[in-house]
Amino acid sequence: MKKAKKVIRRDDPYAKKISTKIWHEQPSEQNPYIAQQSRCHGYDLIELVKERSYIDVLYLLFRSELPTKEEAVIFEQLLISFINPGPRHPATRSAIIAGVGKTDPVHILPIALSTLSGNFQGAGEVEPAVRFLRKNAKKPPEQAALALLDGAAKPAEGDWSIAPGFGSYYGGVDLMAEQLAQQLVALPGCGKLLSWGDEFSRALHDHQMGWLKTGVAAAVLADLGFLPFACASLYQLISAPGLLAHGLEYCKKPMSSYPFPEDKDYVIEE
Amino acid sequence: MSSKSNKRDTSFWDKHRNKVFSKRGGWVIGKGVFNCGYDMMHDLVGEKSYMQVIILNATGRLPDRKLADWFEAVHICLSWPDPRIWCNQIGALGGTMQTSVVSATVAGVLAADSKGYGTKPLVAGVSFIQKALAAYTDGLSVAEIVSEECAKYGGKPIIMGYARPIAKGDERIEAMERVSKSLGYSVGPHLDLAYQIEQMLLDKFNESMNINGYMSAFLSDQGLTPEEVYQICAVLVNSGVTACYLDAYGRAGGAFMPLQCEDIEYHGKPARGLSK
Repeated sequence: MKKAKKVIRRDDPYAKKISTKIWHEQPSEQNPYIAQQSRCHGYDLIELVKERSYIDVLYLLFRSELPTKEEAVIFEQLLISFINPGPRHPATRSAIIAGVGKTDPVHILPIALSTLSGNFQGAGEVEPAVRFLRKNAKKPPEQAALALLDGAAKPAEGDWSIAPGFGSYYGGVDLMAEQLAQQLVALPGCGKLLSWGDEFSRALHDHQMGWLKTGVAAAVLADLGFLPFACASLYQLISAPGLLAHGLEYCKKPMSSYPFPEDKDYVIEE
Repeated sequence: MSSKSNKRDTSFWDKHRNKVFSKRGGWVIGKGVFNCGYDMMHDLVGEKSYMQVIILNATGRLPDRKLADWFEAVHICLSWPDPRIWCNQIGALGGTMQTSVVSATVAGVLAADSKGYGTKPLVAGVSFIQKALAAYTDGLSVAEIVSEECAKYGGKPIIMGYARPIAKGDERIEAMERVSKSLGYSVGPHLDLAYQIEQMLLDKFNESMNINGYMSAFLSDQGLTPEEVYQICAVLVNSGVTACYLDAYGRAGGAFMPLQCEDIEYHGKPARGLSK
């Protein structure tokens, strides 16, 4: 065994203050802890409250500039498109279980968003989907699809994800993801990644694959200029209202209102 | 894309619909609670340590008491009541917000699911030393291993498990060496190589092993995979976070490191008005 070495503090330069480009609080003259004015990327918050929509300010917060009309329309439609993963989604069921389980309601959203962070058709798939779209968008979509399908084998069980954000959904094409993509593709604000992804998706249909919801969100957010890692978190934000609504719906219901599988349906595998 | 023609094969999902399949076990009402073949109330409760059961749940294998005791000791090493540590500060901020202890502790644990500190570097640390030993066995020298790793970062001594932020040296290694010795463990091939790499880094860069490096090498010698170490250590930092939460919770709300407006450095867009 070696001798213990002395532990000494490094002189690493750590910041003295938190710094931000997003928010500026002007202190009151009487109390330096109280802000008398707040600005978001330079704009007075009270003015934003009076003059701009929630969508505009949400976009401003993350992108540092207000959106154009076209950007605002597609961003708003994206937020509506994925406002609710639906009651069958694992993240929503986590919210419902928290609600029915009489978990403190303030925990419902963090619980559900943690489940939504997953890599299987969750927020964890969004960043890889952005990177996939960015990397492949210069290739003809059909050729890119053929190249991926060439030699690829469908998994023996479960869904086939041929690329992040694209694949099968319960063994088939996700019809809602496709319809929402069509709605967004038709907008003047449709960008090149959404457009490319749409053609790529169509090239997968014969193999019972296509857009996944995570792919659609990834394409729109990336086209709007959000950074890949931010797109994953924004997908959680976009889905949060639906998760919360379903969780809260169950808060006042008895625990027996949520299924508890019967013993015959609980199979312990050897 | 027709949803009506050619009905699709959904048998995989049909098989799982409204059913739970478990390879681990569960509660067989009236018979007992089973876990990986063990009857929990008879084979585990009062018979095995809590840490042994944590490792059983994390790996599917019940370890001997010695390894569980080692893990318990390393959990003490890796969770301190100092709110300057990132995950602990989240606990303290929860305390000053008067959240519940569970909320603050879980938030701190989640924060430590980080590439920069906490649990994820253990995956990288175990992977590194296992690959390094394979390379060493194949004939690569310690100097070559160090040189190859450092080359990935422009020649800087950045190797997972070596050096650490804030301070040089790591008092936790000495403590864990003592624990390992008292439990009767000897130095295995991974740990032996880890020491050789440390000596090389000390000679060339004056940087030493950190607790991640020691832990990764020791646990590799015990046959654990990177993923198993990550799984066992899922809530590694929880107790230090709880302590920091309680310290802040016991004071007036907002008393933990309050900031004046001017304590935030703004370097964004200058003030501007909305165009009408």
